[in-house]
Amino acid sequence: MTRTAIQLPLPGFEQAQGEWRSQYSRQIGDEKPVRNRSGIEVQPLYSPRDWSGERYLEDLGFPGQFPFTRGIYPSMHRGRTWTQRQLIGLGTPEDYNKRVRRIIDAGATAISLLPCCSGFRGIDCDEVEPVLLGTCGTVINTTDHMDSALDAVPIGEISTAMNDPSPFTLLAFTLGVARRRGIDWRSVTGTSNQSDYISHFIANHQFYRLSLPGSRRVLLDHIEFCRRHVPNWNPVSVVGQHMQQAGATPAETMGFTLSTAIQYADDCIARGMDVDDVLRRFTFFFDISISLFEEVAKFRAGRRIWARIARDRLGAKDPACWRFKFHGQTSGVDLTQQQPLNNVARVSIQAIAGILSGLQSLHTDAYDEAIACPSEETARIAVATQNILRDEARLCDVIDPLGGSYYVERLTDQMEAEIESVIARIDAAGGMYKAAEAGLVQTMIGESALAFQEQVDSGECKIIGVNCYQIDEDPTVPPAERPNADAMNRHVERFKAFKRERSQEQVARALDTLARAANSKDENIFEKVVDATEVGVTHGEVVSCLRRELGFGHPLIVA
Amino acid sequence: MEAGGAAASRLHRGLLPSTGAALTIGFTGPPGAGKSTLIDAFVAELRKSGRTVAIAAVDPSSPLSGGAVLGDRVRMGRHTEDTGVFIRSIASRGHLGGLSESIQQIADVLDAGGRDVIVIETVGAGQSEVEIVEVADVRIVVNAPGLGDDVQAIKAGILEIANILVVNKADLPLAARTVRQLRSMLSLRRESDRDVPVIETVASSGQGVDELLRAVLKLVPRTPAEREARRRARLHRLVAEAAAAEVRGRIMGRTDQAVLDALRQVEAGELSADEAARAVLKLCRDECDRVPPLAAYDTRVERNEPVT
Amino acid sequence: MMMADAPIRVLVTKIGLDGHDRGSRIVAAYLRDAGMEVIYTPPWQTIAGVVKLAMEEDVEVIGVSSLATDHLIIPKLMEALRDAGLRHVHVIVGGIVPDEEKAALLAAGVSRIFGPGSGRDEIVESVAMLGQQSRSERVDEFSETTL
Repeated sequence: MTRTAIQLPLPGFEQAQGEWRSQYSRQIGDEKPVRNRSGIEVQPLYSPRDWSGERYLEDLGFPGQFPFTRGIYPSMHRGRTWTQRQLIGLGTPEDYNKRVRRIIDAGATAISLLPCCSGFRGIDCDEVEPVLLGTCGTVINTTDHMDSALDAVPIGEISTAMNDPSPFTLLAFTLGVARRRGIDWRSVTGTSNQSDYISHFIANHQFYRLSLPGSRRVLLDHIEFCRRHVPNWNPVSVVGQHMQQAGATPAETMGFTLSTAIQYADDCIARGMDVDDVLRRFTFFFDISISLFEEVAKFRAGRRIWARIARDRLGAKDPACWRFKFHGQTSGVDLTQQQPLNNVARVSIQAIAGILSGLQSLHTDAYDEAIACPSEETARIAVATQNILRDEARLCDVIDPLGGSYYVERLTDQMEAEIESVIARIDAAGGMYKAAEAGLVQTMIGESALAFQEQVDSGECKIIGVNCYQIDEDPTVPPAERPNADAMNRHVERFKAFKRERSQEQVARALDTLARAANSKDENIFEKVVDATEVGVTHGEVVSCLRRELGFGHPLIVA
Repeated sequence: MEAGGAAASRLHRGLLPSTGAALTIGFTGPPGAGKSTLIDAFVAELRKSGRTVAIAAVDPSSPLSGGAVLGDRVRMGRHTEDTGVFIRSIASRGHLGGLSESIQQIADVLDAGGRDVIVIETVGAGQSEVEIVEVADVRIVVNAPGLGDDVQAIKAGILEIANILVVNKADLPLAARTVRQLRSMLSLRRESDRDVPVIETVASSGQGVDELLRAVLKLVPRTPAEREARRRARLHRLVAEAAAAEVRGRIMGRTDQAVLDALRQVEAGELSADEAARAVLKLCRDECDRVPPLAAYDTRVERNEPVT
Repeated sequence: MMMADAPIRVLVTKIGLDGHDRGSRIVAAYLRDAGMEVIYTPPWQTIAGVVKLAMEEDVEVIGVSSLATDHLIIPKLMEALRDAGLRHVHVIVGGIVPDEEKAALLAAGVSRIFGPGSGRDEIVESVAMLGQQSRSERVDEFSETTL
């Protein structure tokens, strides 16, 4: 409800608007308020009364100009389109390598790596029911495994995004491989996705955890290490995706995510790190729902708020720090098992929303993502969707094409107010760390999730094929791609042999050093993780050592 | 046992002789104080010494649907696979007072099952949980800084029942203030209450939990006579509760003329409720030879107070 | 005497590797609102852990949520429940199970499989029915062993 436009000196405006309103009412009759997912009431029509552009320079500016509402770079997608980043990972490191090399041969300049869920649980492949191994990601437990996974992949030239939660063993393995190949760490580029431990505690219980204070310490050590030794690596990706998927509204999601970024920045500052040096490498990761205009407003408002937070609240002086760089993934939550091909349309709309929002990197879901791990064919359609939007629909011709729309600008203002009120609530609770610890965020998300589900159940929120336009179909779930059991068994056997044959003395010493670092105030834990993996310490060993020293983290669920 | 009924009653009778060995510890305090997490850490500490533990964690039932999501397991996950720790989640099922109606019976089952220590966690509603006094040998009231109006959340009756006060989340900035406030409240109390220790813990990291265990062990009844007295008192209460429930059931079940007359007289102002109660009690006694001696009645029945 | 009216107790849990729990939390809320007592656990329970839990909590129904892969170890869970004498505890699976892998679960003794499109009523009714069924089966088991 901020900044409504001024009275306009347009002769006849009032009269014309009045006439339209009475005609509209005659046709429509009584009308229930229409609200978007963030709870903002949406009017049937917007006009200069809602947004007049009088604060254009303060609130919008030009692309690449503060507060970056219209985009963080001057040329935006006209200059360089977004990075197409599809998540891949399945089976053994050798399976992954085959697939990633096909992608690179096809011209990709960025790859991603999704590890097996056993990695997310902090355990190695020899501790898992074999039938589950590699079904959802690649089994990588050692530097040797990473070496095979990245065989012939030019790690100094290609950007790698890894789903690599604390304590960041995948990055440690990658740095080990770089060292083996004589590649300078300064040329290693990419992002530690899933470094945002607060979001894991709140909304994604996919990951094992160290205790909350332990997670906080390891992330800070990781950031400090990367800033010193791997300067082109993004050590922090602040993740809104989990929270929106768990049911937070788009406005809540943006508010929580920005509050999380503030928390991490404050923590770095408290440690004496240079705010400009750190913020330059902050990136964000969001879900893009099908609520198109709302998503566009969410991202435009988020960009504006972040610019002001980074400059005014956190005191960053380098404009690079004010830029809100984000990766978007089309939301799997909107996809349906019913009539699965409809999801091609849904993903397209979500991708349009993301592209019109000016994102930097995009993952489009495969249409069968709601019901299976995507096959190569469905993943190809997902990438083709991006290409069609860019090259055929020509969405990149104009920068911020929805800018100046009365509706989108008004909604951007309203979303901004909504997001700021979420941030204020988190501030009042003592910041994101404490708000999560106290369960405030979880309660808010839980309420929103249930409210949305009720709208779906009551049919107020229509989902085609789910609560309306159902067809008589036999809902099918296509076969899942399962890794080759023999190859996986061999992988596990080789791993066991590796553990037997490595220098036990070196391993014990490295783990001891790691444990001591965890208990000292001034040693860098991540540095010791890197050292340990170089002598053959495995992922599971690192995690269990740190769990022992720093405590086990329970998910902060509020039932 | 939670379901009640004749089978539960028979079972309870059978196992009562085997009870009395376990130490029962009650944790209460306002929601958000971190009781579950503290119990998780406390039980881990107990397990270090090899003691077997049973946890009965009470959560509220929804007043509308009667259902409940019992989520204490989420914070006690580390004990799931430890056979030395038995966890039972209990819904309050509309019972007020922070516990569930069958909690004493459940505690007895766990006791008879040979557990060394029984931990009971209350709903955490705040002020109405004095019932834990009746079930637990040691009562620990957990508070945390910054919950509402400082220690407001736990004042009133609940402070009085504490053998031990805990300020959890002691790493939060306002912890020292909460500790000071609790101490000053204690200093206003009876001589015997002033010794109640105030212990600071950080359940998430385990800090202070060993101190808490030491404080608990100091309160364990040492001599056989002490144990016996405690056990007898508990059985006394148990019988009184059972009698009260029995009488209530009988009276509610009667719609014969004599009872209706009594009700009518109360309605007409000819009898007070107390007097009518005594009259009806007498009817019940005359009617049934199995009525327990009058001395065992809960006095609340005679005062016509609601018997829970 | 209160037996028939006592709320049905359901364990809502996840075994295996995956940690996505939105589905299981919504189902937990559905069942609570239908008057059941839901014991809710974090993901990643082990099979032995679930068996111990089912025993300690006296549940009638276990709901296991699986996203694409973890159902592969459910046959092992069924076997472990049987070995522990918990035949009367019914297991339902919710989530994503490829069609060609459904038969194996049903053959292992899973009572029902709910896909992502399943509605509140369908789930609640099914759990209520299985809960009642479990109670009568349990009484039978009990009398068999005591008489």
